[in-house]
Amino acid sequence: MPIGNSRTWRVCLLGFLLLVLLGPSARAQGTRSKLDGMWSDPPQTAVGTFCFAWCTDAGIDYLNKLLDNPANDARPFEQLMSEADRYQRQNYVRARLTDVAAKAYPQDPADDPAFRQCEPYGLGHQMVARHQLEIRQRGNDRIELRYGEWDARRTAYLDGRRRPPTEALTLLGYSVDRWEGETLVIETAGIKAGLMFGSDGAKHSDQLKTTERYTRSQDGKTLLLTATFEDPLSLREPVVLKKIWSWAPGSEIAPYKDCQRPDEFSKSGKRP
Amino acid sequence: MKPSRGCIVLALALVLWGRAANAHHSFSAVYDGTRVVTLTGVVTQFKFVNPHAMMTMDVTDGSGKVTEWTVEFAGRLNLSEVGWTADSIKAKERVTVTGNPSHAGSSRIAFVRLVKNDGTELLPSNAERLKSVEEERRQRAKTRNQ
Repeated sequence: MPIGNSRTWRVCLLGFLLLVLLGPSARAQGTRSKLDGMWSDPPQTAVGTFCFAWCTDAGIDYLNKLLDNPANDARPFEQLMSEADRYQRQNYVRARLTDVAAKAYPQDPADDPAFRQCEPYGLGHQMVARHQLEIRQRGNDRIELRYGEWDARRTAYLDGRRRPPTEALTLLGYSVDRWEGETLVIETAGIKAGLMFGSDGAKHSDQLKTTERYTRSQDGKTLLLTATFEDPLSLREPVVLKKIWSWAPGSEIAPYKDCQRPDEFSKSGKRP
Repeated sequence: MKPSRGCIVLALALVLWGRAANAHHSFSAVYDGTRVVTLTGVVTQFKFVNPHAMMTMDVTDGSGKVTEWTVEFAGRLNLSEVGWTADSIKAKERVTVTGNPSHAGSSRIAFVRLVKNDGTELLPSNAERLKSVEEERRQRAKTRNQ
């Protein structure tokens, strides 16, 4: 085929334009799909187990110091984990709570609406709930997240939209997301006042804003969440939590419909 | 048969572990994680559901009186991760269950360990995890001491 043929040049030019136009989209699609699939319980390591629900860098450092101290070799791991958890709650979380929030911290698990009234978690708890997290991109404009606990589902919009000012507050809020390299960043607002950091965590206001950053490990086997909580009414400064899941393609989310309100319970420190 | 020291340590660790692992379901509001009781009886029902799997069993005391006990497990989400199914426990099976009693002293316990009549043992989903973590600790100590 003669190189000077104008039809050939037109075909080449069209191909080049298609590559230029579709290239970034295809690359982005590849990046997005890196997180797609089912994730579940963390690796069976000391740190993975410590971060089963959530952890902090301060807590991980403290746990590692305990594990590196020969005096602790004979102590059960559960004891060391509880000690590190107490440390991070007192020295990291409590230190960042406002006076009002600190007074009610930690919450009594017996007062958790999920326990007492079978009400699904709000985002401050759901985000760090244990077990499965399924991530799926739907089309080019949204990512859906589905959790084992409560079979809860969220949508995070990728198309640059913002939360409409008239949007009602909801338990899981209104989420928008974007890619920063290979990290999925989800920002959420419009969350109903509720609990954050678990059943024995702290109360937050409806001004809570969260930023979640999800990154898959180089070997593809784990998913790390770094979540920043900001709330002018309950937090003096942002709280940053971490959480780890393992790749679990065979795991399934089962129906979550048999919650029963407790017919007996006791408040902390008020055992019958 | 006398239980080995390793078995006793593992059972104790599972009891301790259960308190932490179940905290997210507010088990501590219902059950006393510092005590354990053991019951032997016949299963009448096993429900493999979320958020908590439940079992009822008839326990006959020395005078022949039968009491129905409820055993509460972690949820199907948790148990299925380590291979439990709806058939893991069947009605009419004779079982011995160890668990944490309720604060109120009612006829219900939170599952720690179950042994079937044929000796088959069912442990919580955290048993394998606990073994892995303890092995990691042994390796860590070995490296430190080298």
